[in-house]
Amino acid sequence: MRVIPAKLVLLACFALGAAGVCVADVPTMVGRDAPDFTLKASDGANLRLSEFRGQVVLVNFWARWANDSRREMPALDRIHTTYGRAGLVVLGISIDEDLRRAEDFADSMKVSYPVMFDTGSEIGRDYQLGRLPMTILVDRSGVVRYSHLGYKRGDDRLYLDHIRELLRE
Amino acid sequence: MLAGACLAQAPPAATPAAGAAPAAGATPAAGDAAAGAAPPAAGAADSGDFKTLDQEVQSMKKDVIDLNKDLFVLEEELLFPANTQVAVYVSMDVGTFFALDSVTVKIDNKQVKNYLYTAREADALLKGGVQQIYLGNLKVGKHELVAFFTGKGLPVDRDYRRGATINFDKGVGAKYLELKITDKVAKHQPEFLIKDWE
Repeated sequence: MRVIPAKLVLLACFALGAAGVCVADVPTMVGRDAPDFTLKASDGANLRLSEFRGQVVLVNFWARWANDSRREMPALDRIHTTYGRAGLVVLGISIDEDLRRAEDFADSMKVSYPVMFDTGSEIGRDYQLGRLPMTILVDRSGVVRYSHLGYKRGDDRLYLDHIRELLRE
Repeated sequence: MLAGACLAQAPPAATPAAGAAPAAGATPAAGDAAAGAAPPAAGAADSGDFKTLDQEVQSMKKDVIDLNKDLFVLEEELLFPANTQVAVYVSMDVGTFFALDSVTVKIDNKQVKNYLYTAREADALLKGGVQQIYLGNLKVGKHELVAFFTGKGLPVDRDYRRGATINFDKGVGAKYLELKITDKVAKHQPEFLIKDWE
């Protein structure tokens, strides 16, 4: 078997990076059925992903120690307010181990969409979380159609493009 | 509803028409009529082909479903053979005094299941649904099952956590246990029982 020289791999990574595709950002979940989960939301209700079949679902994994989460949550709240009536469901999932502090953080963000807490980290494993925040879009038939790692200003516009497309389907 | 009714009526209306076409084409036996008869005959042949194809597709779908069923049964038998199989079910009756939130099942002091119920699932249980919460394997002999039920006591909205325990003998056959949540009307309280289906 031929061994690919390390320099060549680095060069390929650099080229991919320049094209806006980071190796760490490869959406591994896209095209697969979204693993189902049931979690308790901040209002006390238990929510199961599969019960939203037929609707477009945006799932946002976050942690209070991920600074980008703090910037992303207000943007997601605006999306939820605008597109909720059109059939979009937004679910926030904290993977913080410290439940109390995660709840306090969620309260301070004052978002209107359901925020849930996965202290067991099983769901994070199912969704192959690499970097936080991570946002995925699940279509009406329960398939992951878009995955995004991290957040920078303007990324919510990318989400909107995909959301509109999925809502039209 | 009206559109649905129209759609439902469409096939019977189309069938006689398709059936009538060859008959109409067959009546003029003369050669000059043959040209006129050709298109309906071709249409009938096409329709026949489609029907055969459709039947084949339906038959294949049925085969796939049957195969899937067989595979499921085989998998179940392989993973949970009857001599080691233990299945735990949850049922709920009335529910005037209790709103179910979660059930945790421990067998021989090891947690095997923790299940959170959505409002829809709890409602389905109230309507008479029975849920298989756990399916696993156990060795023949004595075992202990502990179930913890959490939820809200009703009508006063207060947190509720109750446990129920059963010691059972696992024989050579499959073992079925039912976690039952019922209302104890005399005490205005919910009751949590575990029934061993022999």
